[in-house]
Amino acid sequence: MYIQAAAGISPQRSFEAILMQPECYTGNRLTCCEPDYAQLIDPRMIRRMSRIIKMGVAAAKECLQKAGWEMPDAIITGTAYGCLADTELFLSKMVENKEELLTPTAFIQSTHNTVGAQIALLLKCHNYNNTFVHRGFSFESALLDAVTLIKEEEISTALVGGVDEITPVSHAILSRFGLYRKDDTGSAALLDVPGKGTMAGEGALFFALSDHPSGNDYAKLDNVYTFYKPADIAEVKDHIVSFLQRNELQAQDIDLVISGENGDVSNDAVYTALKIGVWNTVPAVSFKQLCGEYPTAAGFALWLAVHILHTGKVPGLTPATRPRRVLIYNHYQHIHHSIYLLTAC
Amino acid sequence: MADLKKQIIEQLNLKDVKPEDIGDDQPLFVEGLGLDSIDALELIVLLQQEYKIKLANAEEGQSVFRSVRTMAQYITEHQPKTV
Repeated sequence: MYIQAAAGISPQRSFEAILMQPECYTGNRLTCCEPDYAQLIDPRMIRRMSRIIKMGVAAAKECLQKAGWEMPDAIITGTAYGCLADTELFLSKMVENKEELLTPTAFIQSTHNTVGAQIALLLKCHNYNNTFVHRGFSFESALLDAVTLIKEEEISTALVGGVDEITPVSHAILSRFGLYRKDDTGSAALLDVPGKGTMAGEGALFFALSDHPSGNDYAKLDNVYTFYKPADIAEVKDHIVSFLQRNELQAQDIDLVISGENGDVSNDAVYTALKIGVWNTVPAVSFKQLCGEYPTAAGFALWLAVHILHTGKVPGLTPATRPRRVLIYNHYQHIHHSIYLLTAC
Repeated sequence: MADLKKQIIEQLNLKDVKPEDIGDDQPLFVEGLGLDSIDALELIVLLQQEYKIKLANAEEGQSVFRSVRTMAQYITEHQPKTV
């Protein structure tokens, strides 16, 4: 499975900018660096699009452009929150107007599959189009669907993306659940100063998956695996060791681990245990200080991994040799765990 | 009609359009301002919200929403009279 291109809109401007000088955020929220959408999307379409739709469509368009594709065989997206801003607008109007005089646009655009649908409308693409809404497995479910369809030779190319936004309202609600830091640690020191809670994040990351090499692929996706609610850290270790064995690998065969620490003490204990017990000899980097925590944050890790394999450069690390094999391990709230294995092309 | 044009621009989020850009008799749909069926629904809501007019027959929409002038005429004819 080849990743012919990757593109995204995230709290970081670009992979090159991360290497030079990553964007740093104060408070407990990282927000996306957004381009001038008028340059990327038809103004007639843009007027109805909320922020997350613009982010998703722009990222997808850039990914297709980089891959040199006009029409993918499938468009598959994953999102946990969906189009929150439109949902909030629609629900607010429903309350304000006493369930009457509801404007249709916010309702139509509030569904979780709007991003995938808008990409299809833009391309006039009538091919397979699906959206997965599965909390911390949303992006992985989309990716696994694409992998399955390609392996079964139903399709040969798929545009796969993970999109999630945070709005002031959702940030306030999730803050009440204690998900985010109350101090002002900021993203630069997030992982160095352990505490309770993390920083909120968001992003729209898209990947061009193909069954054949293009000669200029970013990376090869060897395997993706998910597991749900492990009982303890020992079970997480077992899953990872078994995953490596199934791929005929040992930990020392991995050149780089990208792991999902988010600065929350209770969240990060498993990563610390794995660093000691599984990949103690392997260089490891974290990514959530760059994108924040959100259910489809693994999409950002995948975007980071393919750029590392494509360029040979690792943010915050000077590797002895160019990484050829990267393992990503991430979990969302100890419930949804995912492992990705990639190799350079 | 100037107010109505402003309301249409706001309701439909026509960012780059100014009221003076919309001709009184210019068609609102397809070849004119380029509106579509979702916009038609938004215009029905606009009539209800701003002028308390409920479009009784959906088929009327085609003639009512032909241009700003036809909309204004419909509003004048159907607006509830205040005592």
